[in-house]
Amino acid sequence: MRPSEVTLNFGTPQDSPRTSSDFEEIPYPHHWPSSQGQPEELPLHYMSEETTRRRVHQHPPPGPAGYADYPVDPTGQDDGGKDVYAKMRQSHGSLGGGRPRRLPPPPPTSVREFVSQNLEHIPPVFYTLFSCWTRFHGIGKSDVVVWDEAHFGKFGSHYLKREFYFDVHPPLGKMLVGLAGLLSGYNGSFEFKSGEKYPDHVPYVAMRVMIATFGVAMVPLAWYTAVELGMSWKACHLVALMVLLDVGWLCISRFILLDSMLLFFTFTTVFFLTKFHNQRYYPFSFDWWMWLLFTGISIGCVTSVKLVGLFVTALVGVYTVEDLWHKFGDLKMSLRDQLWHWGARVACLIITPIIVYMITFKIHFLILNHSGPGDAQMSSLFQANLVGNDFARNPLEVAVGSKITLKNMGWGGGLLHSHVQTFPVGSMQQQITCYHYKDENNDWIVLPRWDEPAYDPNAALRFLKDGDVIRLRHSPTLRNLHSHPIPAPITKLNHEVSCYGNETVGDVQDHWKVEVVDDIKRGGKSKFDRIHSLTTRLRFSHVHLGCYLRAANAVLPQWGFKQIEVSCDKENNPEDIRTHWNVESHWNDRLPSGNAKFYRSPFLRDFWHLNVAMWTSNNALIPDPDKFDVLASTPFDWPFQHLGLRMCGWADFQVKYYLIGTPLIWVGSTISLFIAVLLLGFYLFRQQRKYADMEPREWDHFLYVGKIAFFGWFFHFAPFLVMGRVTYIHHYLPTLYFAVLMFAHIFDHFFFSAKRFSEKTKNIIFGVNVFLQLAMFYWFKELAWGIEGPVTEYKHRGWRSSWNLYN
Amino acid sequence: MSSPAGPSRIGGLGPRHRKPPTVEPRVPTEDYDEEHERLTTNFNHPRNRSAIEQYMEAPHAKQITVVVLTVLAFIVRFAKLNHPDQVVFDEVHFGKFAAYYLRREYYFDVHPPFAKLLLALAGWFVGFEGDFDFLNIGDSYSANNVPYWGMRALPAILGSLTVPVVYYIMQECGYSTIIAAFSAIIILFDNAHVTQSRLILLDAILIFFMSLTIYSYVKFRKYRYHEFTFDWWAWMLATGVFMACTWSSKVNGILTVVAVGIAVMVDLWDLLDWRKSDNERITKHFLARVVGFIVVPLIFYLFFFWIHFAILTHSGTGDGFMSPAFQETLIGNELLMNSHEIRYFDTITIKHVNTKNLLHSHPQRYPRDYPDKRVSSQGQQVTGYPHEDENNNWIVVPTKALPETGRGRIVRHNDIIQLLHVQTDSFLMTHDVASPGYTTHQEFTTLPKDQMHRYNETLFHLHLIDGYEGQVLTTKANHFKLQHAVTTVYMMLPGHELPDWAFNQQEVNGHRQPEPEGSEIWVGDAIVAGEHLDELDERLGNQKDRKPKSMNFFSKFIQLQDLMFAHNAGLTASHPYASSPSSWPFAKKGISFWTQNEGHKQIYMVGNLVGWWTAAGAVFLIFGIFPASIFAERRNIPVLTESVTHRLWNSCGFFVVVWVVHYAPFFLFSRQLFLHHYLPAHLASALIAGAVLNFICTETINYPISYRGLDTPPKPREYADLGVKGPVFVGVFTLLQFSLFIFMAPLTYGTPGLDGDEVNRHRLRKSWTLHFASKEMADL
Repeated sequence: MRPSEVTLNFGTPQDSPRTSSDFEEIPYPHHWPSSQGQPEELPLHYMSEETTRRRVHQHPPPGPAGYADYPVDPTGQDDGGKDVYAKMRQSHGSLGGGRPRRLPPPPPTSVREFVSQNLEHIPPVFYTLFSCWTRFHGIGKSDVVVWDEAHFGKFGSHYLKREFYFDVHPPLGKMLVGLAGLLSGYNGSFEFKSGEKYPDHVPYVAMRVMIATFGVAMVPLAWYTAVELGMSWKACHLVALMVLLDVGWLCISRFILLDSMLLFFTFTTVFFLTKFHNQRYYPFSFDWWMWLLFTGISIGCVTSVKLVGLFVTALVGVYTVEDLWHKFGDLKMSLRDQLWHWGARVACLIITPIIVYMITFKIHFLILNHSGPGDAQMSSLFQANLVGNDFARNPLEVAVGSKITLKNMGWGGGLLHSHVQTFPVGSMQQQITCYHYKDENNDWIVLPRWDEPAYDPNAALRFLKDGDVIRLRHSPTLRNLHSHPIPAPITKLNHEVSCYGNETVGDVQDHWKVEVVDDIKRGGKSKFDRIHSLTTRLRFSHVHLGCYLRAANAVLPQWGFKQIEVSCDKENNPEDIRTHWNVESHWNDRLPSGNAKFYRSPFLRDFWHLNVAMWTSNNALIPDPDKFDVLASTPFDWPFQHLGLRMCGWADFQVKYYLIGTPLIWVGSTISLFIAVLLLGFYLFRQQRKYADMEPREWDHFLYVGKIAFFGWFFHFAPFLVMGRVTYIHHYLPTLYFAVLMFAHIFDHFFFSAKRFSEKTKNIIFGVNVFLQLAMFYWFKELAWGIEGPVTEYKHRGWRSSWNLYN
Repeated sequence: MSSPAGPSRIGGLGPRHRKPPTVEPRVPTEDYDEEHERLTTNFNHPRNRSAIEQYMEAPHAKQITVVVLTVLAFIVRFAKLNHPDQVVFDEVHFGKFAAYYLRREYYFDVHPPFAKLLLALAGWFVGFEGDFDFLNIGDSYSANNVPYWGMRALPAILGSLTVPVVYYIMQECGYSTIIAAFSAIIILFDNAHVTQSRLILLDAILIFFMSLTIYSYVKFRKYRYHEFTFDWWAWMLATGVFMACTWSSKVNGILTVVAVGIAVMVDLWDLLDWRKSDNERITKHFLARVVGFIVVPLIFYLFFFWIHFAILTHSGTGDGFMSPAFQETLIGNELLMNSHEIRYFDTITIKHVNTKNLLHSHPQRYPRDYPDKRVSSQGQQVTGYPHEDENNNWIVVPTKALPETGRGRIVRHNDIIQLLHVQTDSFLMTHDVASPGYTTHQEFTTLPKDQMHRYNETLFHLHLIDGYEGQVLTTKANHFKLQHAVTTVYMMLPGHELPDWAFNQQEVNGHRQPEPEGSEIWVGDAIVAGEHLDELDERLGNQKDRKPKSMNFFSKFIQLQDLMFAHNAGLTASHPYASSPSSWPFAKKGISFWTQNEGHKQIYMVGNLVGWWTAAGAVFLIFGIFPASIFAERRNIPVLTESVTHRLWNSCGFFVVVWVVHYAPFFLFSRQLFLHHYLPAHLASALIAGAVLNFICTETINYPISYRGLDTPPKPREYADLGVKGPVFVGVFTLLQFSLFIFMAPLTYGTPGLDGDEVNRHRLRKSWTLHFASKEMADL
């Protein structure tokens, strides 16, 4: 960006012919020395400031006189053609944009002064009150379990009952649901079956109100974020109004769901980031540290609600990288300051969020200390430490004839499983899988080899030792664990593992050698002889093929019920924990029940284990090609509102909720994103052609807000495109926020902050916009507040034929 | 050569009128002089270079180098070209396609035709008549008298010529002979490139044209101070033409187009600065690029397809992929021979186009309750059934008055019809009841003939695809949709299998917006009975005399493009030798091309580890060098001379773009991927390796290399000097590369056979899955 050299205006219209030539023309210096301070005010007889500014280098000045003014960059035409570094040097030392610096006001001496100093806080107060009304209005109208309340209500109940459960989302949001239940006096006894009516003892209205409070807070946060972003007043109003009036955000905030918390923490993260940005000229001040730390904590919270929070983390990451890149290029900054800057980011934006995330898991484990439905996802040792688990009473030492279950020790591993269904490919024999759900299909009986005498229940006990060759018989179907040189269904380079034969039919391919790795409690394998349940780590080597029983994280297709594939790995890698197994449950009438004191499973190990399990299960939520899921939608259905979502049953007597946004907000914001990209391209094109359209500060502001909005949107949208899992429209709700910011930013850029429009025009544009939003909100409000009676009475709400509002 | 400073530049504003370049002032420091000395005096006199460099840079030394490289390339690619005399790997496809050209039978493939046309040409040249089907890997050529070596010779020739082209790319970019030879040797003795070049496959052809594209682009770029001269135009058009050949050889050739496109855009972006070009000049440049890089390649691309259609005039294996209108242009196709017009009261069978199921109904009824607690109408089942059956017969019933005889009885586009199920004497209908498998779709059932009060629900609107008013419905030749007159849903078959109660037949249901695409398209399969069936043959005149219809080339072309795109995306089945892109640069996994039990012979396509790891290492280094250079500049630390910086970013940067563009997109493709998809990127990495080696060995470079324009300001010349370490390194590298090449030769050439232990020794990486390995492997 060039300095504004236009200030050279001698007050004569350029096209007017000179009337006299009796003085010598002296060329003005072409670079006004900046050290002389402000360029002097020059008379602006007939040009507005706006016009003057835009007259800079609009056209290449004709003639050699003009040429002299614009020295050609010597590196511009050399052999390289392009100067890679010249562009970098142009950039300013620090990111511009944001709210202009203001001096703190003097202490107010009168009420009037106090009010005038705090004028900017009055609109958000009103917006918040409105927001309370929209969010809480008739919140208990539907007295049944709506949509995913079935999940999150149930998880909340588990906290109250302190029973361990498993879910793909991190625990913070669900703990807050549990807290809401606790505060409203709910005892955790309700099952939250989908569509079921709430019994009297469940204070669902109070719980919904508490959760909706997070949704209420979105509105003031949006206001203050817009203020901190340095938007004009009208744009700030626009942002707050859009957040207030979107029926999608409204609808999702009114139930016992995690989305309102996710949205809340997403909003706080952006807010804190903009706050921090505005402290950039006061590094290491108290406020600077505070907002940076808050940003980090907020990142931790949003990620602990749903992993979607990683997307807003990416936004902060990109901002920080750019910021540090500028600092890195600031040669005047001392090394000490450099290091402090880098260290502060690492401490506040990396370490703090991780700590927050881990703390939520620590609390999660502390609360859920009873055995519950999610046990099987965790390691055997973790389960043994839960109250109500009977592993401790299992016999300790495994012998031939014992009935056992085998747990894979890989991160997120399950229990060795078989069921009567057969492989549709390969050998067509009975399937072997790895599965987390506990049932008797996980039970195996340890038996001697085929060439040894059959197991005699009355003979002397033979304890299992390292190197023993055994058969494993599947207890319910009486078939034997078997492997053969047929490629496994997914991991084709490994051998398939199946269940084959019966009590009398079998062959040497049923023989497995038990190889002890070590024992968690007793140490290396030289130190003990007998195999203990829970703690001894084993590998099973196929005697005939020499391969190892392994449960990879490959998920079988629908015919295998999305369970984990088990195969026999030809490579012998003793370090591969996916080939490690331990005995979990153990039943043997001839052995005394154990009474072992287990050493506690370390927190970090459990934390990591649970996270891998969450990740695996999340990725396993892939759409089923054989099933048509009417609720699911693809990312491209969202920005232009191709599909909505029915949140509950659709019968006439039910209160019905339809998740779809206010069309102006959704479609308008999407269009604004396209416009922003085109506009940026246009300006860059003009810049490359060396036209100056904006002052540096203006340009920085345009870029700064645009980057926050665009990258925020992009990071919240693009991952869904590559993600294999099934997606729903509510995944777009955090994304929408950034589109809304862009919408306001574009309006701000074109109209509200533009100097070419009169105040009256701006007011009209603003008024029409607000009116349309209000009207649309009024028109669609029942979709979020609940439709009573037959939906056909709301005939004209179905603006797009693809919405399944009526049929 | 016209002077660029023509009248187009107003008032001499152009770049030519400017001050001579000035050295950017640096902050004087203690080390300044020394530093400045080092950065500015780079062998400005060629005699200052080391003896070996002077010798290697002499013209005759360069010529000898190229000749030696080329001869070696031909030797290693042509050696034992006739072994094995069996069909190997994808020769199954590409040999077959070449045969189809010679037989002029229409086929369908996901790849554009150019490379296959060349293969067919080679086959024709050596007298192959297309009378061999290339059915299975391992089929014998010699037993069937196929002159296969002639067809293999074509990829071998082009594959050999790739080596000198790589050499010249580096040479033109200003690298020394040694460096250029180094890049060429990485390709020359590479087992993967050699394997791929010796067989009837497309990749060698693709890679040859890709390298030519890069070469021409480099040449074009070097002429940039001679804009709009003959040479400038010639090299631009050459780039465009070779680009079109690359793209027309294989679908992934499009990546080359993208790579060049990026370079062109960067180039244009630089010209945008008004100090360099006024409006007229930038417009001229832009339009020239449009012609050279868009219009010309497109014309060539179209031209190859035009030849493709012009040759393939007979019906063949590809018919079924195409639309009926297309099929009717082929001589001897079934539509032409067996298509009949349908008249009212004919009994016909109706086939679902995508799944080949016939519309079927039987007396069994839908069960009242479904597992998800919905209920059905308990009407008669309507399903899709792939086998012939009496229950597939439907009579087309008119809804309007018909004349006794004649043309008025023909079923036409936009008619409203009823379909009467012959066996149960009931009409096809649909109504507002959810179908068994989908809550959103309507159930299809039938209505007994006597229930006239629901007559309206049995009416269907007949829409011929691309139909015109009054068009006749014929069997096989016209695809159509059936839209229910009352509820406006289309009859469709989404591909959902019904449970046992419907004998696992396919569900037929209705929806307004059918998905997947095309699931609502049906075709009349055959007329099984009719009032005047005896005159069937006369209805449309004598079948035997029917001439193939003609069709606009562009409609054919667009149809084929759509299909190619759809099928390419559909290649997702897993394959034991498929590999993921991340495993490619280090040759983690190869492909077993061919095995022969007798003699334990096999061909295993995998890269030469020395060359691949060197190239991959160079790529890693460059991704370290670029950031390091940016960081250094950011801190204003002078590290590189200007000339070296420019070479690093402009020349090597272009190679990196080529590499990234030919590699990264594969991470996004969900289709089956194989190691040979990396070969174009590997070529780019060989170029990068040369540039990196030069960067490591010396701070000198031949500079400037672009042809100086009439008024380009003179630049001080610089000369590269690798000293002794360059040649020594390249010598040692060549030795290693060649030794490993020879060691791997039994896997590349498929002979001699290896016994179990030898196979184990050749298994250089644990992840290679060679055949005939001895047993103890698993216990290692």
